[in-house]
Amino acid sequence: MQISDFLRLEWLQFRRAAYFQKGLIVKIFLAFIVLYFSATALLLGVGVFFIAKKTVPDVDPLVTVNNVLILWIVADVLLRYFFQQLPVLNVKPLMSLPVSRHRVVRFVLLKSLISFFNILPLLIYIPFAVVLVFQDYNPFQVLAWFVGILSISLSINFANFLVNKNNKYLLALLSLFFLAGTLNYFGIFDAAAIAGIGFNALYDQPFWVTLPLILLFFLYRANWNLLFKGFYLDDKVAQKVTLAGGSNFTWLQRFGPVAPFLENDIKLIRRNVRPKQVLLASFMFLFYGLFFYTQDSYSELPAILVFASIFITGGFLMTFGQQVPSWDSQYYKLLMSQNIPYRQYLNAKWMLMVFGVVVSFVLSLPYLYFGWDIYAMIAAGALFNIGLNSFITLIGGALNRTPIVLNEKAKAFANTNGFNPTQLLIGLPKVILPMLLFYLPYKLISFNVGLICVAGAGALGLVFRAQFLTLIEKIYTKGKYKTVAAFDQES
Amino acid sequence: MIQVENLTKAYQGVEVLNINEMSIPKGQSFGLVGNNGAGKTTFFSLLLDLIQPTTGYIQSNGVRIDRSEEWKPFTSAFIDESFLIGYLTPEEYFFFIGKLRGQSNTDVTQFIAKYEVFFNDEILGKRKYLRDLSKGNQKKVGLIGALIGGPEVVILDEPFANLDPTTQIRLKQLIKSETKDTQTTFLISSHDLTHVTEVCERIVVLEKGQVINDLKTSPETLKALEKYFSEPLDD
Repeated sequence: MQISDFLRLEWLQFRRAAYFQKGLIVKIFLAFIVLYFSATALLLGVGVFFIAKKTVPDVDPLVTVNNVLILWIVADVLLRYFFQQLPVLNVKPLMSLPVSRHRVVRFVLLKSLISFFNILPLLIYIPFAVVLVFQDYNPFQVLAWFVGILSISLSINFANFLVNKNNKYLLALLSLFFLAGTLNYFGIFDAAAIAGIGFNALYDQPFWVTLPLILLFFLYRANWNLLFKGFYLDDKVAQKVTLAGGSNFTWLQRFGPVAPFLENDIKLIRRNVRPKQVLLASFMFLFYGLFFYTQDSYSELPAILVFASIFITGGFLMTFGQQVPSWDSQYYKLLMSQNIPYRQYLNAKWMLMVFGVVVSFVLSLPYLYFGWDIYAMIAAGALFNIGLNSFITLIGGALNRTPIVLNEKAKAFANTNGFNPTQLLIGLPKVILPMLLFYLPYKLISFNVGLICVAGAGALGLVFRAQFLTLIEKIYTKGKYKTVAAFDQES
Repeated sequence: MIQVENLTKAYQGVEVLNINEMSIPKGQSFGLVGNNGAGKTTFFSLLLDLIQPTTGYIQSNGVRIDRSEEWKPFTSAFIDESFLIGYLTPEEYFFFIGKLRGQSNTDVTQFIAKYEVFFNDEILGKRKYLRDLSKGNQKKVGLIGALIGGPEVVILDEPFANLDPTTQIRLKQLIKSETKDTQTTFLISSHDLTHVTEVCERIVVLEKGQVINDLKTSPETLKALEKYFSEPLDD
């Protein structure tokens, strides 16, 4: 088997992946997104030099960039930790074929380089380096800097596989970042600048480039050894088996007939990789407000702030809710042929979503720092989420027939699986409606009346809860056969 | 118990199942055999309302399956792994199924205790998730799960596949005693002619969606079936 054969297999896997078996509109949409991201990265790469020059005029822009580069690297580490897939598992079908182990291992490692997470930095670093050369920086030194930074990025790639989603490393890393951040904040110790010295050295004394190169080499070798030695079914290639912990859900009994479904949903979230990812993502939504509330330009446009407020408490509601019933796709036939009333099934999901909003609302307490107006806005948004967005999201989910493999990480862009034009349309009112409900009374009467309208709409939605659930039930019943067939397909 | 009337199922105009009339009395153990693509799984999916009939209908205990959901409380099935919930332990799965059929956890515990021999000490108390069990052990869980709460109709697709020889024998005994003691109607499909003739009192042969043989099981049935399946199919 030649490298070209491997490449052919990869190409087929890519071409025939479920996310390409889509309608034309979705394909165009996806292509658009990829183009958009690439263009943004390219623009950033070109522009960052000039941005640095403008913001800190009397410092060499390269030095400015180097001084903040560590932040990007930290983000890179975290992103990779959470989202980058280990390529190891695809090895299984090759193990019994007459292909030398060296070859497979080498291929797996090289393959890991072709990933969104490695292409993105290229799209930024290359234009940046080109701009540097055009700005009369020494091409040789620029090359050294470029190779150095790229090696660091690739080192993270390989280190990530070594760490292999071990939470201990994550905790250690996070505490390190936190410590550095705190020291930085109080001005005791400028970690970013220290890292900056290192990056500057890459340019100033190009021989330093050997350091990241050696690091990359060793990490590559370490991965190589690990994979080579672990090339057995019961070793690295094997899926980890975890045992169920003792869990007691008797307290759920008070919820009556909904209890068994709630219990299942809680186990679903706790015991599967994919829902945990969603949980993490919804936690990130909590910080959404920081982008908006801190900008002076937005304080003039409170309708935009309403937009942010919806997301602060709606993270879990939206990310989890839009995948109902896909979460249960792996055993949907069981659910459909058992004595399960849709009403209770939906009720359990709805309660979980509401619970998510309530928890987010409690966690958003620090936003009080931005004043009562902002906090009242978050509260109104929470009520709107509970009363209306929960149902809108469930309606959207009912039309989403993409199966989910629960215990596998989402691949980058895999979320686009859930994309279809109808869903997008249904999703719009989730944010547009509260903005309108706020904006009109705000312009005509006052800020507070605007908030009351948003909150009131949520409360009204709660009043019509039964009607909403009946409507969603109807969608479920109508689409039952389609959904069963769609979930039967492997994703 | 089960009445089939003018049932057909077609995909894009191609007919995959056509059963003019058939009735399965209560307490019968009914076997379905046929090569791949004969329509066995299609028939079972129709029985569980997982697909819609193109024409005709099935009635179970007087309930039209495609019109009402009233058949669900007395029907259970194990078709494939999609009837298992991968992130539950076997016990949790049994309890969940039990709750859907109105059984308390104590009822379920008592019930599954009867099948300790069947589980062969590989299922209970191991704290393993169903997704981490072997195919055979998953099947054991699914089969017993389908019996919880005393359903009147039990539908099993290929119950013998993936099971070890000991468990195959135990499963046969189990089905026989269940039909005798509880008047449960079993619908079983299988590629294994020996097993199915041993367990079922009636065997229906499907070929390309048509019923081409409907036999009451006798000592000669196995021979007849083997002869039928070893002959080249003529179109």
